[in-house]
Amino acid sequence: MNNELKALVEALIFVSQEPLTPERLAAVLEGVPAEEIQAAVEALAAESEAEGRGVHIIRSGGGWLFATKPAHDREVRRLLQIERKNRLSSAGLETLAAIAYRQPVTQSEISAIRGVDSTGSLKTLLDKKLIKIVGRKKAPGNPLVYRTSDEFLLYLGLDSLDDLPSEAEIAKILEQEKAVEA
Amino acid sequence: MPDPAPDALPLEGTPVRGDEAPDQAPGPAAEVPEAAAVPAPVDEAEAPTPAAGVPADGYQVRLDVFEGPLDLLLFLIRKKKIDIHDIPIAAITRDYLGYLERKTEINLDREAEFVFIAALLIYIKSQMLLPRETDLAEGDDPRRVLVDRLVEYERVKAACSLLREREDVEILQWKRDFVPPFHGEGEPEPVELSLFDLAESFFAMMKRKTADDTRIIRGREVPVEVKMKELVTLLQARGVVDFLEYFEAHESLEEALVSFFCILELVKSRVAVAVQDEIFQTIRVWLRKDPHRTAAHE
Repeated sequence: MNNELKALVEALIFVSQEPLTPERLAAVLEGVPAEEIQAAVEALAAESEAEGRGVHIIRSGGGWLFATKPAHDREVRRLLQIERKNRLSSAGLETLAAIAYRQPVTQSEISAIRGVDSTGSLKTLLDKKLIKIVGRKKAPGNPLVYRTSDEFLLYLGLDSLDDLPSEAEIAKILEQEKAVEA
Repeated sequence: MPDPAPDALPLEGTPVRGDEAPDQAPGPAAEVPEAAAVPAPVDEAEAPTPAAGVPADGYQVRLDVFEGPLDLLLFLIRKKKIDIHDIPIAAITRDYLGYLERKTEINLDREAEFVFIAALLIYIKSQMLLPRETDLAEGDDPRRVLVDRLVEYERVKAACSLLREREDVEILQWKRDFVPPFHGEGEPEPVELSLFDLAESFFAMMKRKTADDTRIIRGREVPVEVKMKELVTLLQARGVVDFLEYFEAHESLEEALVSFFCILELVKSRVAVAVQDEIFQTIRVWLRKDPHRTAAHE
């Protein structure tokens, strides 16, 4: 294993303010084959895991980034003097899920899926930058069209939209819920 | 209760539904008076005695704990262990209306959605009761509209529980994208300001200025063009200009005003940037590193 490359990759991930994509990394490390970069990141991630370090490398939002571990949340918040991070409301999460699976989608389509007016939730999600407006639909009234943002992926620790819970996983949940009730 | 039907209703094959629902609207809408008549008298009867704890015009989107009418329907269907693809409409409608009646007050504005689904249920029932000349084809079950919506909503809810699990883990992992609210330590992240912040700062400064300036000021003509050039030259020479300091140095109110307009103009035309390190601190102004545009402005 190329230790120099590993150290270099670690430095680049450290400095990067957003998930460092393999493409960016390859562009910076001109000439280094993609497989070698990939191997270096994986070795790094495995090392920090094996040594039980406080910061680990995760894959999220299309790239690699450093993150602290869930177990250290309390102390980190104490350092930063943050009471706690608020989770999304259930209405917000429902709206977000409807958008994630149906995008690109308009407000009335989201409201139809939920059976509830969703304009308020949309505004909250826009404020949190979890969704974005990508244009207008060529339909009566030219309604705005929404999509999930890159922050959305990062927020839920997804690498890409393909990482969203699959049909099979959803079916399994429904199966479990029915089993509990039966 | 294994049912072959679920496969016959693919999640992907339903985008038409959004268009279908409005089509259904005129039907049930005509019947709304009857459906709505159930909760409405309750509303009036309760009106003279305001229910304790319920704000007069409160934000009562939820009926009890339900996220919406579909959530309530799903709950009722599950409670009765009914197959979602073969809903006994009469029984479920009775239960559903029962829940609506439990509310002491109905805020039509907020709960129209619940009433709409009630109307839809009654409409579906009426469609099923109507005699037909020919038997319905497989896909023409009047309940189909509702079932499709329920199935999709059920899936969204299931996806929500999975996404919530992810959120619960992710929220505990701190990343570099987070800017800590440290005070007086390190380089604070500059915040780009709105023009209102700039204006507010200006007026605060002007107030101070008028307070300690009691001389009579004889007007001096300061054309915007001249001031603009002066300002750009100053910015070029000094790099960064402290907003408050800059105005403190001005002789007259008029001159300060003109300078202020110049800064607004420069920021608006994106020639200059106004940045405040932290709230309540001074604002710094500098030219954007875009020689072409700067030159164009000169």
